[in-house]
Amino acid sequence: MPYQSESQSYYSSSSRGGGGGNVSSEPMETVIKLASGSAVVVFSVSTCCMCHAVKRLFSGMGVSPTVYEIDQDPKGKEIEKALTRLLGGTSAVPVVFIGGKLIGAMDRVMASHINGTLVPLLKEAGALWL
Amino acid sequence: MASTRRVLGEPAALSGISHHLPYSNPHMLHNHPPDTSFGRNQEESSFDFGELEEPIVLGGVKINKNKTKETLYSSVKASAILEMLPSWPIPRQRESSKSGEESTDSGSALIKPDSESPISTKAPSDHHKTARAAAEDDSDREHDDLQPPQPPLQSPDIQMESARTGVSQSKSAAKQTTEKTLRRLAQNREAARKSRLRKKAYVQQLESSRMRLSQLEQDIQSARSQGLFIGGRATTGNISSAGAVFDMEYSRWLDEDIGHMSELRAAVQSHLSDGDLRAIVDGYVSHYDEIFRLKGVAAKSDVFHLITGTWVTPVERCYLWMGGFRPSELIKMLIPQLDPLTEQQLLGICGLQQSSQQAEDALAQGLDQLHQSLLQTIANSSLNDSMHHMVIALGKLANLEGFVRQADNLRQQTLHQLRRILTVRQAARCFLVMGEYYGRLRALSSLWASRPRE
Repeated sequence: MPYQSESQSYYSSSSRGGGGGNVSSEPMETVIKLASGSAVVVFSVSTCCMCHAVKRLFSGMGVSPTVYEIDQDPKGKEIEKALTRLLGGTSAVPVVFIGGKLIGAMDRVMASHINGTLVPLLKEAGALWL
Repeated sequence: MASTRRVLGEPAALSGISHHLPYSNPHMLHNHPPDTSFGRNQEESSFDFGELEEPIVLGGVKINKNKTKETLYSSVKASAILEMLPSWPIPRQRESSKSGEESTDSGSALIKPDSESPISTKAPSDHHKTARAAAEDDSDREHDDLQPPQPPLQSPDIQMESARTGVSQSKSAAKQTTEKTLRRLAQNREAARKSRLRKKAYVQQLESSRMRLSQLEQDIQSARSQGLFIGGRATTGNISSAGAVFDMEYSRWLDEDIGHMSELRAAVQSHLSDGDLRAIVDGYVSHYDEIFRLKGVAAKSDVFHLITGTWVTPVERCYLWMGGFRPSELIKMLIPQLDPLTEQQLLGICGLQQSSQQAEDALAQGLDQLHQSLLQTIANSSLNDSMHHMVIALGKLANLEGFVRQADNLRQQTLHQLRRILTVRQAARCFLVMGEYYGRLRALSSLWASRPRE
């Protein structure tokens, strides 16, 4: 996926641990760090209805994602900017990471669910057991 | 009389026996329309004189009212038939020439190609026994098997009956069984005749509906080409320019769909090679990709036009979901029509149905939250900052486009996954079924709109 390679290049170019790296990569590092922290990570805005749809999709499948409401997060602005850059300029949320890997916005999530790749990814990340 | 026949209503195991006069009663004459499809009947194994009842009666066959009507009809029928239609070919030749000697039973009658010898219509040997008209036994087999005891016929009006007076009446027991057999045969014939008539009526109804349907489609086509209709409806002033543009593009897409359908149909029937078929099938997938693209463009300008669904026909509008068809419903409709499927394919398709259902539910819940949030914003606005809230509401409304776009995305992904799971040939049949299904929904709308109203 284009998203994945983009995030990986960011990852490799910025220093780990967030110390001394250039400012623009910090939010991205934050994002990546948060994304790697759980099996399923959703960046959301509490009032966003499409984010609500993504959350309902996962809970309907029996998955409990870790949700970061960036409108309620102190680092929200930066995260939003990083996500916008990651997704290529459309809306920043919702964005889904599974097993630390970027899946994408709602359309990518649904496409991967329809073509049957979402469930294996979830199982691989340990978010789904059956 | 009717009751006795009912008792012997066995399945038409013997209905293959042809050439018999079916039991007729006066009521039945009025029930069935004059049937001129003699030729067709002759192809059937059971040659039924039933259809001739009305013409015979109308032809003024004299009937002795003294007898039970059934017996009269049956007894007169055979002779009358030949008299009326002497050139009418009889599918099965009767071997026996003499009615009296051939008659195997009181109920059987022989029909000879030549009308010279009287038709040995067998009036019931015992009038009281055979209350109903004896069916004519047209099987030579039967004739051979049955003993022909002929009790004196009690209807002097009928010529044949007198011919049989000489037959012995000794084997009454055998006669009874033959009578039962004949009754059964008659019942079978009657049932067969009725079902044939029903089938004919049904087929005629189908044919007329089909013709009417094609006529309607032609009318719509011509009206559309004359620019009277945009998107299948007369234009009003309420369609935005983006909506009008989309409607035109959609009607063009529908025309192309008809072309794709005929191409698919011809390809499936003519057993093209897989390579050629693949091109056609993939072309149909691209055809759908095109409409999703057009809808995406239209959603940017006028999402409400897509949601309210004026661009589809009324029946389709009933089933509209987020501006289009519901993928899980489509899969559910397709599954039984996709046989045969491998185990793996079936699993894949059921998985597709389940995942599309889950995605639909998620989108529906998101949209529902949008509705609630929007209503709250509108309701909460006080006099002072109502404008502010309206602006917020406008912002929320903008999310509608995202939902319609995700719904179309879901539809597109479902079609693509369907294409991936199925073989080329299966996919061709699948898309044919799908196209015809939506075509029928559209046709239903046309028929409904043009139904006669008091």
